[in-house]
Amino acid sequence: MSSREIAIKKNRYFDSVFLMTVTRRLSEQPGIENAAAVMGSPANKAILVNMGFAEEALAPAGPNDLIVALEGDRAAVRRLVDHLEEWIIRPTPERTGPMAISFDDALSRQPKSNLAVISVPGEYAAREAHAALAHGISVFLFSDHVPLEDEIALKRKASQAGLIVMGPDCGTALIGGIGVGFANAVRRGPIGVVASSGTGLQEFSCLVHRAGSGVSHGIGTGSRDLSDEVGGLSTLTAVNALEDDPGTRVVAVISKPPGKTTLQRIVERLNRCGKPVVACFLGLAPDSRPENARFKICSTLDDIVTAALRLSGEELAGWPALSADQLETLLHGQVRRMAAQQKYIRGLFAGGTLCYQSQQVMRDAGIIVYSNAPLDGMRQIKDPNTSIENTLIDMGADEFTVGTPHPMIDATQRIRRIQAEAQDPEVAVLLLDVILGYNASPEPAGDLANAIRAAKRTTADAGRHLSVVASVCGTDGDPQGLEEQEEILREAGAIVFASNLQASSFARDIVLQRMEVLG
Amino acid sequence: MPTIRSLMEEGPIAINLGLQGFAKALQDQSRPVIQVDWSPPPPQDEEMQDILDELL
Repeated sequence: MSSREIAIKKNRYFDSVFLMTVTRRLSEQPGIENAAAVMGSPANKAILVNMGFAEEALAPAGPNDLIVALEGDRAAVRRLVDHLEEWIIRPTPERTGPMAISFDDALSRQPKSNLAVISVPGEYAAREAHAALAHGISVFLFSDHVPLEDEIALKRKASQAGLIVMGPDCGTALIGGIGVGFANAVRRGPIGVVASSGTGLQEFSCLVHRAGSGVSHGIGTGSRDLSDEVGGLSTLTAVNALEDDPGTRVVAVISKPPGKTTLQRIVERLNRCGKPVVACFLGLAPDSRPENARFKICSTLDDIVTAALRLSGEELAGWPALSADQLETLLHGQVRRMAAQQKYIRGLFAGGTLCYQSQQVMRDAGIIVYSNAPLDGMRQIKDPNTSIENTLIDMGADEFTVGTPHPMIDATQRIRRIQAEAQDPEVAVLLLDVILGYNASPEPAGDLANAIRAAKRTTADAGRHLSVVASVCGTDGDPQGLEEQEEILREAGAIVFASNLQASSFARDIVLQRMEVLG
Repeated sequence: MPTIRSLMEEGPIAINLGLQGFAKALQDQSRPVIQVDWSPPPPQDEEMQDILDELL
């Protein structure tokens, strides 16, 4: 018989990554249908009420209290509640040294601090960021769900003080060759980049590295920075800083389409930049491109890397790419084994910007795609858990990451989804991204390899051939190793490309070929 | 007082509030970082906290 129970542990604070692992382990126990281990913030309590847990039972929990919510077989739920302590034993942190009891304590121990890295829950993040700015310290703000008015206030305060707020919702920065957040091991070099998208910055910097060049600084600004509400405050600060930086020869700007007013503001600033500039406003329709821009505007991440390398004046080989003949042979080898009904693409992405770029590739070829994060002209999918026709899903979006880890850290959700897509007889190609670097899964390709093998076996047993096309965003210096991860994917049966654009283009060609064959 | 320029010249000297993995990744790159043992302020103290912030 099914039952729901709530257990509250007063004054026990744990960070979200640890609690996600607890949630996952509890969910995997026999007889458990639903489990969540979360702090008792108002937002988390609202989610639990939506999941069907009683509001009254949650009422005594405050933000400093741990809530464990369980649903399933009565005996299984009871057994877990009775032994809850065993499930919340926290592993001793590795090598992070003694902790400071407060921000002020940290500052007194390390008076030269110049960056606050903040990833506390969004509702508390602005207070901590204000405290850092008040001490003259710039902020890398990973937290999301920070109110817009707080973001504007923080960024204004930072601008006035000659500081920067990278974020909120900033995943990646490279400061003087040092990766902050989800970043890759990228050599230093002449190219400075400002990006409002974390995976956009990662893909850009990895391709620059793979081409043999390097990045002076990669400054993240957060997903809303170029909205008209925020007005690009951090982007402008970052452009100023890169213009002044003696180690930067070229300035690159990457974002999704900015707000109309902000786009003009950024273009005017970049027109006045004393260094060569190149920009990519991913997803911006060609007819919306600003005509007054006196710098090159690229439409893909690969193009902006190529343009930036050219402007830096270095003679470089570029990153690996197949010739047109090789691609043709590869394409033919894939499609000739497909069954008559196979025609659709399913893309399952860890990187939101990579999902966006893939949609752009499809849009440019006239292929209509459903997505949970649709590009202009694409269709909003009704249920993000169920693909229809051609579907590209950003699995790092909020609807997949509330109470569960981001797919860059944990592949569980992508593995399940790969299995589901393989059951659909109309699917011809599965498109994946694999992201390496600091803070990502220690074995990102290995996490997916068995699922890829199983998907190919399932389809082969049913007389079909499933193409699995992947790109790996990483460098040879990343903790996971680029070559090793690529090899794991190849051994599992995936076709591996050096960039999301290459992988998306190949997957597009499969879809176009199938459309042609099937009329 | 540090500015964005000094951050870029000196590289990150960080104070980490939240996910400890972020501190560890900086340490793995041989950068100085101090982790704060952070927990949320009790909600009823919000007003008091503002007064304290003001005073301090």
